[in-house]
Amino acid sequence: MVELDLDLDVSAEATANVARAREFASEIVAVEPVMGDSVLLTLTAPEGMAAQVRAGQFLDILCRGETSLDPLIRRPYSIYRANARDGTLVLLVRPYGRASHWLVARQPGDALDVLGPLGNQFTVAPRSRNLLLVAGGVGAAPLVMLADEAVARGLSVTYLMGAAGAAGLLPPGQLPSAVEYVVATDDGSQGHHGFVTDLVPGYVRWADQIFACGPEPMFRSLRQVLLGQRIGGKPAVQISVERTMACGLGACLGCVVETRRGMQTSCVQGPVFDMDEVIW
Amino acid sequence: MPDLSVDLAPNNPRELRLANPVIAASGCFGYGLEYSNVIDVQRLGAFVSKGITPKPRAGNPMPRIAETPAGMLNAIGLQNPGIRGFIKKYPPIWAGWRVPALVNISAETVEDFATMAALLDEQPGIAGIEVNISCPNIAAGGYCFGWDPDMSAEVTRAVRAATTLPLVVKLSPGAIDIASVAVAVEEAGADAISLINTLVGMAIDVKARRPTLANLTGGLSGPAIKPIAVRMVYQVAAAVTIPIVGMGGITTLDDALEFFMVGASAIQMGTAIFVTPSAPLALIDDLAAWMEREGVSRLDEIVGVAHPARPGQRRRDLEPETAIAAG
Repeated sequence: MVELDLDLDVSAEATANVARAREFASEIVAVEPVMGDSVLLTLTAPEGMAAQVRAGQFLDILCRGETSLDPLIRRPYSIYRANARDGTLVLLVRPYGRASHWLVARQPGDALDVLGPLGNQFTVAPRSRNLLLVAGGVGAAPLVMLADEAVARGLSVTYLMGAAGAAGLLPPGQLPSAVEYVVATDDGSQGHHGFVTDLVPGYVRWADQIFACGPEPMFRSLRQVLLGQRIGGKPAVQISVERTMACGLGACLGCVVETRRGMQTSCVQGPVFDMDEVIW
Repeated sequence: MPDLSVDLAPNNPRELRLANPVIAASGCFGYGLEYSNVIDVQRLGAFVSKGITPKPRAGNPMPRIAETPAGMLNAIGLQNPGIRGFIKKYPPIWAGWRVPALVNISAETVEDFATMAALLDEQPGIAGIEVNISCPNIAAGGYCFGWDPDMSAEVTRAVRAATTLPLVVKLSPGAIDIASVAVAVEEAGADAISLINTLVGMAIDVKARRPTLANLTGGLSGPAIKPIAVRMVYQVAAAVTIPIVGMGGITTLDDALEFFMVGASAIQMGTAIFVTPSAPLALIDDLAAWMEREGVSRLDEIVGVAHPARPGQRRRDLEPETAIAAG
């Protein structure tokens, strides 16, 4: 049996300088098409929250009207961008299932029932100067926010992005201008013809840390290309995983990830994990 | 201000007195701490811990959750630190809390149930035990305790002998005749009965052409199961005199009133808390406002009002024939 570490670190969560999770009524202020059939939803948030949320955290959104019970459970969306100036938060939503189809059909002025911010965050080590970000599809979301934070701190950022075709790529204008943006497409319609992870070896010696978010096969491929490339586990790799969630607060244990430290919840102890700690 | 309080163990000197009848259900509220930064946990009538087992359990492989129409399936697999790990960590915290905390226990042998109850008996911060009899009985080849009145009674008797703590026995909706199980656990010394646990269900991922849950089957909860739960509380209310805690898909005030009106003295909320952590607190407020509006000064004035066999005259022979026909 796996060694169990069921410490919840609730007190640590509470004392860290991050926004307190809460239920709130939000209003959609902008809906912008992006990356083909996806949209960027800009939402209002309680005062001060946009300045306190951190890259890697997510919002749990109720994707139904008040009179419906379906879809029943909230859906987690990584925060794409936090605008401290006007207090808004931005989410990247791709229509995939019933909940996300409902969400992409919202209009400015519509209300949203939100729980958050939830989850841990990407951790940039104090000595890190060069950050390599690896995004697959809508996995781009939390890494945009990380790029924002890193550039604001004067760090060098290379943002690698992969998609099926050119239409699925993040427009370069969405990233801070100081970011080096390199893309790959499965069909070769733009950038490298192949997987985004093919690009990673060229940056391993430059990067102090690697941050990745995307579908499960991308993580497997990332592990594969990094085999024998890293020295003593450097650069360290943090990944943001996606799991079906129910409570979002570490109570139901429905979204666990098996790690070397035992079963960990992706909603509270994640969604960001050290790649080397995850048992695949 | 109407009186929302309720004693769920009127026959037990240790009492299980709740300020209101709204309880957070086992498995849906962790150990209370998980929600303490988001809502005022102390306002709840009570909460029930995640299911505790004799030994630590890592739980089932992923995926553990599947959403279904107005419901969800879960197969967490009782991931928990085991009774000893649990005792070290949580009771000392709960001892400083105002809200009554119940511990939900699960085991695969009668002896293990009794051992856990004995260990909990003298712990601080524990208001009572909820016994989960929806587990496989190893001695009976894995047949679920809660499906059989005699096996349910045996567990109840053993736990009763091991502790004087208030005892709530949580019934399984898989029982062939839920009223007989209720009668059996009442006679075996249960202070109260809670029902229903989840119903066993399954969902298929048609894209992958396999069951969505790694465990194949899971427990169905949420609004989808409410009518079944109301029917079962109705049947049990006709059969026993000890307090009943009703649950199964309760989301709104009207949902809760249905359970009270067929004979529940208190209710539990589970899946609704996943969706909206403050839902039980809103329910307490809504219930108080409703009682005020309706001129109901005490909760027991409405308990069982929709039941042909009203409280005090509950008899098994008044069990509705329609339910038997439908069964």
